[in-house]
Amino acid sequence: MKKVIVAIMVSLCGIVSAQEVEKDTIKKVSLDSLAKTVNEHSEKLAGYEEKFSGLEAIINELNKIKVSGYIQAQYEAYDTWSSDGTIHGVPVSGSASYEDNSFYIRRARVKFTYKPIDGVNFVLQPNFEVHQVTLKDAYVQLNDRWLNTFSLWVGQFNRPTYEIEYSSASREFAERTLMTRTLYPTERDQGAKLEADFVTQYNFPLKLQFAILNGNFGEGSLASQAKDVDNAKDLMARGVYSLKMLNNSLGIDFGAHTYLGKTTVIAQTTPPTVFSDVNNNPFTPKVGDKLKKDLFGGELQAYYDFLGGMSLKGEYIRGTYSGTTNAAQVNSLFNANKVRNVEGYYISFVKNVGKVNTASIRYDVFDPNTKMSGDAITSAGDLRYNTWTYAWQYFFNDNIKIMACYLMPINEKSQNAGADFKGDKHDNTFTLRVQARF
Amino acid sequence: MKTTKLKIAGILFVIMTIGFSFTMVNKVTIKGSDTMVILSQKWAEVYMKKNPGASIQVTGGGSGVGLAALINGSTDIANASRPIKPSEVEKLKARYNTLGVEIPCAKDGLSVYLNKANPVSSLTLKQIGQIFAGKITNWKEVGGPDAPIKLYGRESSSGTFGFFKDNVVKTDFSPSCQTLPGTAAIVNAVKKDKFSVGYGGAAYAEGVKDCAVKKDDKSPGILPTAATIKNHTYPITRYLYMYLKSRPTGEAKEFIDWVLSPEGQKLIEEVGYYPLK
Repeated sequence: MKKVIVAIMVSLCGIVSAQEVEKDTIKKVSLDSLAKTVNEHSEKLAGYEEKFSGLEAIINELNKIKVSGYIQAQYEAYDTWSSDGTIHGVPVSGSASYEDNSFYIRRARVKFTYKPIDGVNFVLQPNFEVHQVTLKDAYVQLNDRWLNTFSLWVGQFNRPTYEIEYSSASREFAERTLMTRTLYPTERDQGAKLEADFVTQYNFPLKLQFAILNGNFGEGSLASQAKDVDNAKDLMARGVYSLKMLNNSLGIDFGAHTYLGKTTVIAQTTPPTVFSDVNNNPFTPKVGDKLKKDLFGGELQAYYDFLGGMSLKGEYIRGTYSGTTNAAQVNSLFNANKVRNVEGYYISFVKNVGKVNTASIRYDVFDPNTKMSGDAITSAGDLRYNTWTYAWQYFFNDNIKIMACYLMPINEKSQNAGADFKGDKHDNTFTLRVQARF
Repeated sequence: MKTTKLKIAGILFVIMTIGFSFTMVNKVTIKGSDTMVILSQKWAEVYMKKNPGASIQVTGGGSGVGLAALINGSTDIANASRPIKPSEVEKLKARYNTLGVEIPCAKDGLSVYLNKANPVSSLTLKQIGQIFAGKITNWKEVGGPDAPIKLYGRESSSGTFGFFKDNVVKTDFSPSCQTLPGTAAIVNAVKKDKFSVGYGGAAYAEGVKDCAVKKDDKSPGILPTAATIKNHTYPITRYLYMYLKSRPTGEAKEFIDWVLSPEGQKLIEEVGYYPLK
């Protein structure tokens, strides 16, 4: 028995030692292969590092480009009737028929911003429409890197007023006021703008803007808007100061702006076209005559943190404005050969309701002829409009909002400005809009 | 008849407006500054233990990311290690019709980290700014050895980056400044590289040395300590903030009140920052 046990132990020892020998061999082989593997991986890692640094350079370049944009798709219902009640709706462009409701792509815009180096922005924003693509913003913005205060914009950009600079993607109402749409058609113009914002560097909440503009953007055919049609440049200036009160729960921004421009008579007809002056008296300008386009305005926006935030905003503009029916210069909302004293204002109240709803109401007035009223007015284009606008917005998420908006224009009545305007023309509009923003 | 309908519609409108305005939410989300993540998590953890029904969710991402989330409505509170920018206030005005609510909730000092083997031990604010702007590129220009300076910093979404840029560098960072994801990574990098310099929260300076900072040539160098940060004698001192869209209500208000209470403030020093008082 002992012999058997010894024999088993000896053989076990043999196995154990054999295993040890085997282990040693494996260890050697393992170390060699491990070293080889490590080398291979190091080479691979070096390769990846090289690849990544190449990719990083590409990503850094791509990071300088920002793409944003928004689409506004809406359903509109026009409660618009002719004076005798026979026609319901608005004229269909290019057709003799009328429509009283329609789906409509109001905006389809993509904005590209390229920041090659700190302090320089290139911005390009086309607007896609069913029948054309138009250029909305195209400018170079140079920010001063030393004082962090000044910026120079050159190209095509928004005219500096509060309502224009407040993006339609953020606006609480379907459209801007009649005053702004008439006096600053299509909002933008071409030129150069210098801005000074003293808040970043000096903690002084004053912003000043000065612009020199062609002055004819949004007027006449698209081709005639590409360049200045009369050589004369229009000037704009705006200043805004911000106040904070009541432990920062109340913020008030107030300011003023001016527009100093001209409508140059660039052609005359045979026989000569007769214009009317601010008192509606006729006069016949010569080619080269410059008609006044001077506007002065004040603005105020107040924000108060009460049950989720609310704001009260208003602007007032008055001055002298001129228009012409010349196809290269015509402003579709001031479509007559005339010079007029104009005045307008709006007051809007916006209240956030909970986290995702906003209720808004606006009252706006635009009088395109302050010197005349009532039956003395013989043209619909001289009638004053008081407009009520009610809107409700629901923010589905960061990207999508839904807006319901009802617009109620009330026109000044005249027995001599067409049958539609002997009373208040029925011309209300309901808009249900879905906006997707990215 | 028409007038009655309008009146009813008007009354309903007012009731809905007021009713929705009082909507309360029990879950509170906090997003933003990476510097403040550990502190906020600590606050949330202790607060939820004391208030079992409460739910406080904390995530990082950087001050800029938190403030963007506040503006787009995806967080209730934004943590920020820098003050809100005027452009961010404009966005709050446009979306919420408020200026936002700023609540300073702790103090922090930004330390300038140096490798322990680096003979340089103090710098003026101006020198630090010039170093990170790339205008001073060799240690010999500030009394050190003849060796190039290697720079480490944070990404541009970081509030620490923004605060350091606005208050110390005052211009663009040098393109050679290597950005790293988080203060711990900067500390590690400086630990390994004798001639490097980085910046970040004073509490993170383990294995590296703090640079004594002088306000100007004539001032003494001040090290970032609890005392110098609390009494603002250390020149690179900042507040840590919570931002809300509007005045807090419900659970968010109770949480913030607790954070500002002696009990909440007591936790701040445990994670390396400093209470308001």
